[in-house]
Amino acid sequence: MSALSASAGMSSVPGSVAYGGGNRTGIELARNRLIVAVLLFCLAFLVMAVRTVELGLSAEAPKRVAHTQIAIPPVKFARADIVDRNGEILATSLETASLYADPSKIKNPAEAARKLVAVLPELSFAEVEAKLSSGKRFVWLKRKLSPRQKWDVNALGVPAFEFRREEERLYPHGRLAAHVLGYVDTDNKGLGGIEHFFEDRLSDSEAVGSALNLSLDIRVQYALADELEAAKRAYQAKGAAGLVMDVNTGGILGMVSLPDYDPNSVRGVGDDERFNRVTKGVYELGSTFKTFTFAAALDDGLVGFEDGYDATKPLKISRFLIRDDHPKKRYLSVPEIFTYSSNIGTAQMALDLGAERQQEFLSDIGLLQPANIELTEVGAPLYPSTWRKVSTMTISYGHGIAVSPLQLASGIASMVNGGRLLPATLVHNPEGWREGKQVISPATSRQVRQLLRMAVSKGTGGRADAIGYRVGGKTGTAEKPKAGGYDRKALISSFVGVYPMDDPQYVVFALLDEPKGTKETFGYAAGGWVAAPVVRNVILRTAPLLGVAPKKEDEGLYKNVALMIEE
Amino acid sequence: MRKLVTSVAVITVLASGVAVFQLKRAVQEKEDAVRAIAQQIHADREALRILEAEWAYLSSPRLLQDRSVQFLALMPPRAKQVLRDPVVVPFRPRGLDVDEAEANSVILPVSEKKTIQKTKKMKGSSL
Repeated sequence: MSALSASAGMSSVPGSVAYGGGNRTGIELARNRLIVAVLLFCLAFLVMAVRTVELGLSAEAPKRVAHTQIAIPPVKFARADIVDRNGEILATSLETASLYADPSKIKNPAEAARKLVAVLPELSFAEVEAKLSSGKRFVWLKRKLSPRQKWDVNALGVPAFEFRREEERLYPHGRLAAHVLGYVDTDNKGLGGIEHFFEDRLSDSEAVGSALNLSLDIRVQYALADELEAAKRAYQAKGAAGLVMDVNTGGILGMVSLPDYDPNSVRGVGDDERFNRVTKGVYELGSTFKTFTFAAALDDGLVGFEDGYDATKPLKISRFLIRDDHPKKRYLSVPEIFTYSSNIGTAQMALDLGAERQQEFLSDIGLLQPANIELTEVGAPLYPSTWRKVSTMTISYGHGIAVSPLQLASGIASMVNGGRLLPATLVHNPEGWREGKQVISPATSRQVRQLLRMAVSKGTGGRADAIGYRVGGKTGTAEKPKAGGYDRKALISSFVGVYPMDDPQYVVFALLDEPKGTKETFGYAAGGWVAAPVVRNVILRTAPLLGVAPKKEDEGLYKNVALMIEE
Repeated sequence: MRKLVTSVAVITVLASGVAVFQLKRAVQEKEDAVRAIAQQIHADREALRILEAEWAYLSSPRLLQDRSVQFLALMPPRAKQVLRDPVVVPFRPRGLDVDEAEANSVILPVSEKKTIQKTKKMKGSSL
């Protein structure tokens, strides 16, 4: 400061410059110039000081983070997970190591092979030795080692053994839902089920981070599989199939086909195990088809609950004789025909309906076309190419037409949900309300619900009545076709149930292939004896999981039908 | 005077130099830490995938049922045992603290037993 004031004083006396010596004037000049620079600096610092104070006092500016983003290396895998509707993992990809060797680096192949076989006993010594002495630059020794095996091989300390990172597809639930999920080959290409159908979606590198959400519920899937396995064992059936479906969305919660396989190791699994009986298998399903005949007749106004048909004697049509399994030998009202599963009554109703209308109706509810679902294993239905009078009659009660259980369940769902046909789906879509094609009127749907409930509470399906859950349903028993006719001993016994009947939510279907009667069923192997209890048990186990509360039945709903049924 | 200014300036230069160096080192350390954390997160996520797969396997319904049969005497619930509304349970203690306790936790059979014993004792003392 003192230097500053001194120089200011000097510059204020211009005369001193003129009178001073030349040397002095030079110094003065230099100093003056320096002063200007110092002043400028002081000014700049002052501005900075003021700005600092201002920044400190002013309101806090929004915090800006340094723009360097922390890059977390993503977990890379080549195939997306598959999860169920609750996010439970059904299929996932895990990192594994595959062992290969560079034989050109190996001096003593026999020694190396002996060491390797000691830790991996499943390899054959001769094969490994041959590979190691081949002199190639690259040979696979074993694909997909467990972490423990990898550790053991590393501990051998043979430098020629090396690992390549690979992915392994893992199905934590094993054989549960095997037919839905399918399986993959060694190179993780989907070969069956969802894995095959959604191959592009699952291996799409863009979408690999988001899991594929299926409509399955693994708990329901297990309840269904467990009950079907128990029934298959108890009745020594050749196979079994089951399905649980949401009637309002078409979403499939459980799909079981027995015998099944473990998708984690598909080597050596036979075709019978791989065969999906729910979608690929087509069966003559018997009386469950009566539901459709009745729905068509009621929807057309052809019959009402007060009408009836004579079922005193078996019907003779060309060389066929149509008999009842539970003969009442009297005139039966329409609800009675359904409840007691009378083939005679139903066949006459179908004749009144006409072949063309029947064909049109069955086509409308998708029973004459292959089912539309996210699987490639879909079977085409079998039905006569020329629809004769006798076909009309037999098809009315489910003989002479073979459809897959999936088609039947979708059809039944459309009968009870107010008449909307929704294509079955395996993909979970919680928001998507689907309109669906109206196939019968809501009023007819209400009548079909009453009939189905009566068939369980008073008729052939009594063993499916899960107390409290208002189950409705229809039994189905069909003889298996053989060369030149039907095999009376080999049955396809099924039951299709819906619950709760006052507000239908779920369809449960169970089928047993060639069940044998036991002492408990008095030797019977019909649908009402062997398949209906499966449906009851599945309902008892899954209803609490699915949030269907048991309650006392409102008898008034079925009053008008119940009146038409005589014991 | 001038010497003072100069020495102050020199000290300031040295001090700020050291400070900048320290800052740089600290930033580098933080960056290393961040990179290590990112690596750790990556490793954890990979481990998480394996753990999730293992959990899915261990909580598979078939295994759970086997365990349940082995260790518990539980059966599938019958319709009679399922209630829509807990209010209809007879002799169910009501009041603020009960409902509050229930909001956070499920009453286990053990704690239920204790409350029964307590009420018995209280009855005895009041008599």
